[in-house]
Amino acid sequence: MAGKERHEKAATRLRHQRATDRRNDGTETGSFPVVRRKATRGRPDLNRASTKARLGTSVLIVLLCAMLGFGYMTQVNNTTSTYETLSEDELVSLINRTSQQARQLEQRKNELTAQLDSLKSQADKKAEAERIAKQNEQTSGILSGRLPAQGQGIIVRISQGSKQDVDAATLFTLIEELRNAGAEVIELNDVRVVTSTYIGQRDDHLVCDGQPLDPPYVVRAIGDPSALQNAVDIAGGVGSRLKVMFGSRVTVTTSDEVIIDSVRATDSQRYAKPLQ
Amino acid sequence: MPAVLGLIIGVVIGVFVKPDIPIQVQPYLPIMVVAALDALLGAARAYFERSFSDRVFIISFFANVVTATLLVFLGNQLGVGSQLQTAVIVVLGIRIFSNVSAIRRFIFRG
Repeated sequence: MAGKERHEKAATRLRHQRATDRRNDGTETGSFPVVRRKATRGRPDLNRASTKARLGTSVLIVLLCAMLGFGYMTQVNNTTSTYETLSEDELVSLINRTSQQARQLEQRKNELTAQLDSLKSQADKKAEAERIAKQNEQTSGILSGRLPAQGQGIIVRISQGSKQDVDAATLFTLIEELRNAGAEVIELNDVRVVTSTYIGQRDDHLVCDGQPLDPPYVVRAIGDPSALQNAVDIAGGVGSRLKVMFGSRVTVTTSDEVIIDSVRATDSQRYAKPLQ
Repeated sequence: MPAVLGLIIGVVIGVFVKPDIPIQVQPYLPIMVVAALDALLGAARAYFERSFSDRVFIISFFANVVTATLLVFLGNQLGVGSQLQTAVIVVLGIRIFSNVSAIRRFIFRG
């Protein structure tokens, strides 16, 4: 009897214990009502399926979890490039930084453009200077007799005088007249007339810059043909003086293509230097 | 076991393959990940409660992801996208916490 009572007591304790356990095992967090599965009494177990279906759902679960892991890693790798997750302050500072950078780049671009422009203008200036130098070289080459020349002009032929020999002064006057009339290049027989050209008399014949001149004297001059012709043929001018005083025959031919191919080697100046 | 296996496979693939996410999906991906995580933890809890059902898990997984995405999408349409995104994240976070605490109680039962 006593044993039975003890047994009953133990059973009651066990029941109490079980009730307490069930309370302690409660999973309600208070945040959300826990939807417990209804007892499966009278209903077929959802999991009671064929092995094939079980395998299928397992594969599906693997797939889903793989998708989750994949998505997670992708997002982890991608967070740096999404602005979506940045806060407003971060976005503002990012915009500020970017616009500042853009400003700096713009400034730099302007600087470089200015540099490029200045370099271009320098190159242009250099090309211009080169062109002028080339022009000067040509002009001075023609002036100094360094280069052969051609162009409109006249050819004057003077035969030896019948009354007396043509003298140096008259011939020089002819050259001066031609110069005054605007002759750019003058040649006397085969001697190119330059600034230092002289005409002298040695023994019986004329000498020009150390070379003997033999009649008939041929003077080629490049310039305005009519002006040059007038300079020679003008009444009381050097042409008539040659005819009257020396009795020589003077023929003036104008030509569109007077070629002067005698040249003069120029000495470089020893003393004179261009004024800076 | 399949869940753990799947997670490992997915992470490995994610580490080695670096895909370009389409720009339209970009804002929703983190939400989807968190929703899926919540579904996974709910499944773990159910597993400890011995009431785990794979079909319920699959359905809840998709339902969670789709609901969260749709909610954020709706928020974007209404111009409250970031707020609704925060709300979804908060709710999912609370759920994750409660699930984790339930799991903890099962593991450290006494």
